Amino acid sequence: MTTTAAMTMPPIAPRPPGLGLLMRIRMAVLRNRIRQLTDQSPLRLLLVFLFVGVIWLALYLLFDYVFRFMRRDQFEQQAVIAIPYVFHIFFVAMTFLLTFSTAVIVYSSLFSGREPSFLIAAPNHPRSVVAVMYLEALFFASWSLLLLGIPLMMAMARVQGLGWQFYATFLIAFLGFVPIPGSLGLAAAWAVAMWLPRSAKRAVFWGAAILLTLIILWWGRLWALSSGSSSDWLRGFMREMSYLKSALLPSTWVTNAIRFSIDGKVSEALFYLAVTLANALFLSWLCINIVGMGYGRAFGRAHAVPTHTTVYSGWASRWLSSAAFFYLPGKLRALILKDVRTFLRDPMQWSQLLILFGLLSLYLTYLPRTRPDGFTLQWKAFICFLNYGAVTLILSTFTSRFVFPLISIEGQQMWLVGLWPVPRSRIMWAKFAFAMTITMTAGMGVTLLSIRALNLPASLALVQGVGTCAACVGLCGLAVGLGARLPNYEQRSAGRIASGLGGTVNLIASIALVTGVVVVMGIVCYRMAVTMETTHLDAVGWGLFAGMAALGFGTGITAMRIGIASFRTAQF
Amino acid sequence: MSILIQKVTKCYGRKRAVDGISLEVRPGELFAFLGPNGAGKTTTIKMMSGLLRPDEGTIHICGHAMAADALTAKSKMSYVPDEPFLYEKLTAREFLRFVGQMYSLPDDLADRRAAALMERLNITGFADQLAEGYSHGMKQKVVLAAALLHDPEVLIVDEPMVGLDPGGMRTVKDLFRERATAGKTVFMSTHTLDIAESIADRIGIINQGQIVACGTLAELMARAAREHRLEDIFLDVTNPAAPGLAGSMEPVAGRL
Repeated sequence: MTTTAAMTMPPIAPRPPGLGLLMRIRMAVLRNRIRQLTDQSPLRLLLVFLFVGVIWLALYLLFDYVFRFMRRDQFEQQAVIAIPYVFHIFFVAMTFLLTFSTAVIVYSSLFSGREPSFLIAAPNHPRSVVAVMYLEALFFASWSLLLLGIPLMMAMARVQGLGWQFYATFLIAFLGFVPIPGSLGLAAAWAVAMWLPRSAKRAVFWGAAILLTLIILWWGRLWALSSGSSSDWLRGFMREMSYLKSALLPSTWVTNAIRFSIDGKVSEALFYLAVTLANALFLSWLCINIVGMGYGRAFGRAHAVPTHTTVYSGWASRWLSSAAFFYLPGKLRALILKDVRTFLRDPMQWSQLLILFGLLSLYLTYLPRTRPDGFTLQWKAFICFLNYGAVTLILSTFTSRFVFPLISIEGQQMWLVGLWPVPRSRIMWAKFAFAMTITMTAGMGVTLLSIRALNLPASLALVQGVGTCAACVGLCGLAVGLGARLPNYEQRSAGRIASGLGGTVNLIASIALVTGVVVVMGIVCYRMAVTMETTHLDAVGWGLFAGMAALGFGTGITAMRIGIASFRTAQF
Repeated sequence: MSILIQKVTKCYGRKRAVDGISLEVRPGELFAFLGPNGAGKTTTIKMMSGLLRPDEGTIHICGHAMAADALTAKSKMSYVPDEPFLYEKLTAREFLRFVGQMYSLPDDLADRRAAALMERLNITGFADQLAEGYSHGMKQKVVLAAALLHDPEVLIVDEPMVGLDPGGMRTVKDLFRERATAGKTVFMSTHTLDIAESIADRIGIINQGQIVACGTLAELMARAAREHRLEDIFLDVTNPAAPGLAGSMEPVAGRL
């Protein structure tokens, strides 16, 4: 039977397949993915569930403790005022987070990749494609609400002794709430494709940066209030918070539904649930239809060839590489120059560091003004500890996301780099030097600012400075070393390399290292605050300091040695 | 007319990627679309398959306007892009079943046709494995099978031979020829001039957004001032300043 003969068939009715078919195929993909995970890497799946379970349990215990603490007799009155604000703030934060994450997911699924081209070229109604991508984005974006919200509500239910009605209320409230910011995210993604298609990533990133800056400035205002008396502070705080309770905000509807449910006011709770659900359905319907109608045009714009291309002379990066890596041989400097150019020309890399460390710098610049008469030693030690934690955490996210994939990506170019008459170990050290230069510049810059802002005593400044160096060495060593030990040469996307098995192992190892050095830092700070000793470290303090340095430097060097041994014998 | 392109223009900013082209492809015709990199081939194909909208002009597939009646037009055609898309976590068989449902084929018919196509393209052996493990050539074959599943009146293929082994290339060429013989239309964009030369009924060459040559191989050769192979003709019309070839082709009007 020839294929042509086999193709004899009745004419096809031009009836577009509905949403159901597209949903079914996504379910089939999900089913196969789960089956593959259970068959090939059940341990990984188990670990994921275990980690989620541990996080859930830890959050539940934390919220349970906080609510019980607030229910004590002496805080009963404050608790009545404060708890609704906790919910308002929580749902306002969730509104921003869900809008942002849905926008990012929807943009990538509707306007990038090859799947949308495949679906649009087939006789699918654009509205169906938009609807299925939107529902999928809601599913993936809502994990943060589930992760944080469920333990929060369960702790509240347990502390207040609430019945099943409360559980049903908060679950329906969550279900109704998620599509409201989700539909805003859908509209935002479409708007970016329509009007900012060439700079979608930058638009989203800078939008988030501006939002974060506004939040931190507002937080600074709140903190500045704490210099007044208690009653002034409370009045100021309430004034600052009052607009979070606006009746027009979705966070207010869902908060009210939950609050009235806690108070046993069923009809009021049902009213706000109905308001939430009605708005969610209407906004979803509206946005799916509007975006569905304009999808073709937006897709075309997102896929249009750039109208202008930037011409790079490359002198700045060449100068920067020569200045920063003068100590490396010329061949390795050429390799570094490639990485420097990639770093500078990828705003996602440098802007992440710039924004997060910029925000930290902003806060550190602002810090001395909140206490014109200076901080007590206890406050200095406490803030120094928090700063150190923030710096090391940011560095760990940077090295996990951007440094870890360096070797895997290099592996794809082994036809070029692998043929170099340079020992592979030197390539590894060059990568390490590159990562160290960036992390040390950013990390030490903020650390010095912190030391100056707090006017830290020399002993504490020494601990924080050396601690930051040790963390940089440890994190860069881990990222480069594990990047060579657990590479993924098949994958071309750095993001996917970072989120793969090796990247996850590196992230866990980095978090463990950060936890280790931060805990030691915490003990040093605590001991200084308790003993009020500012001039020098005692024997225990020196021991802890040496331990922290050894942990960072030792981890980095060990990981590099493991990575080099693996990279020397790697085959591509 | 299977494909009717009338005065179509597509601009990216100031650049006219496709500049007022007109083209007609008849049923039963295997049309090869050639052009250097950046000439406007992919933009034209994307407009034909409804992925991009023309700024000016109209495109009809089997008499249905892509702008006004997109769903009907799309149901009459298939498009195979140069980089084949498959759901990594689906098997070839699941993917083909899904495509059959997208084109409203009854499941039993889709299964029968999928089995015949898989056998013909020699992909039955890995039909139940996840697509993530396929080579480029295997993916290309699966996507081609998916494109042929609903027996489209018009098949639009961008670089169909990339990644295929010689056996696969031969099968695909035979399939295209059979479809044309059966009265269907195949519109193929390619850089492989030998294939265009050997199987195409007509050849169109696009350069800088304009069609600079169109006709049968014999017509193109006759139009040339001296005897050439297709490669010479192609280089001549797309780069008239090339040494030794300059001026050997007569100018061609935009509409052919």
